[in-house]
Amino acid sequence: MLRQTWLAIALVVAVPLHAQSGPQGDTWESIAKLPEFVGLWEVTFGGGPRGGGEPASLTPAYAAKLKEYQDATARGEIEDGPAANCVPNGMPSIMTQPYPIEILFTPGKVTILIEAYAQWRQIFTDGREHPEDPDLTFNGHSIGHWEEGTLVVDTVGFTTDTSLGGGGMRHSDKMRIAERFRLAAPDRLEIETTITDPEALTKPFTRTAAFGRHRDWTLAEYVCQQNNRNFVTDDGKAGIDLSFEEK
Amino acid sequence: MSTTTNPGRARALRHVAMVLGTVIGILVLAAWTSRAEAHHSFSVFDMQTNKELEGEVIEFQWTNPHTWTWIEVTNADGTKTRWGLEGMSPNFLGRRGWSKNTFEPGDKIKVVIWPLKSGEPGGTLQRATLPDGSEVVNFGRGPGG
Repeated sequence: MLRQTWLAIALVVAVPLHAQSGPQGDTWESIAKLPEFVGLWEVTFGGGPRGGGEPASLTPAYAAKLKEYQDATARGEIEDGPAANCVPNGMPSIMTQPYPIEILFTPGKVTILIEAYAQWRQIFTDGREHPEDPDLTFNGHSIGHWEEGTLVVDTVGFTTDTSLGGGGMRHSDKMRIAERFRLAAPDRLEIETTITDPEALTKPFTRTAAFGRHRDWTLAEYVCQQNNRNFVTDDGKAGIDLSFEEK
Repeated sequence: MSTTTNPGRARALRHVAMVLGTVIGILVLAAWTSRAEAHHSFSVFDMQTNKELEGEVIEFQWTNPHTWTWIEVTNADGTKTRWGLEGMSPNFLGRRGWSKNTFEPGDKIKVVIWPLKSGEPGGTLQRATLPDGSEVVNFGRGPGG
């Protein structure tokens, strides 16, 4: 009985204290206490804890879609994907392109600038919820909070135009992506990404990507349409445009 | 011709040694990302064939999503063919010792490419020997390291 009373008192005291302090990263003062993510981060090629882990466990319907794609590829019918036509990859693949990302903190929001395809993500850390019926987009709607030094992000609202990684694995509009960002070492950022999808996956699919820090790099422009000579036709055939205008 | 911005020969050789590691890394990465090369597959290129060409630079396009090196090659019968060589992006190469002046019009260079399967005069640039004998490698050093 005594223990229950103390527990009740502790809860009453703890809740207002938490409310007073606000979410981490919600004020300029609280941002100063966050881990230092300054600089550009580039995914390490084969250098991190990636690739391992269980393969995605697909539902029968989505396993059939994947097999259809793989069979068509083996027959030479599909040679490339939409990215050849400069369509951004969408989440989660857009996070692990061979181009750097930059992570910015402002009060109540984390912004990720992604050099590849000049994309960005905004992760609201001001305590808001997802929209009840979010628009379906390439990078989704993200909310996050800090658990000590780890940024925990939840993202929903994905268009089904994108594939889940390469090789024709698809997802539904009910896909949900949970990410945990943390500094595994002073210059090594690890992002653990867990994908759930009640229509496509029978269990959560988790991978961790490691990023190296480049403090002296700055983001560069990436306008994919500038001189894109690669193309893929609607029926999957790849080609190259070698037209050349003499100066 | 400009050599001031080109990496030295020792550095270039070091890059060559790292190419294999980078290619393996790209293959590993492909399991998770949609296109390790960021942009397109290599289905149109014959990656089993290392074709060597010698020619004169017509234009070096320092553009996204790929650099394009255009060279004029004089064939055995005396005719000339313009080859278009696709390289990594300025963003990628610019962080690895290349610049928009790495090749300049009139430079006589030797290149190793993966040619187009179609037989058209084009391919993926692997590496090039500059007029001063130094070598530049298209894939550079593996990122993140």
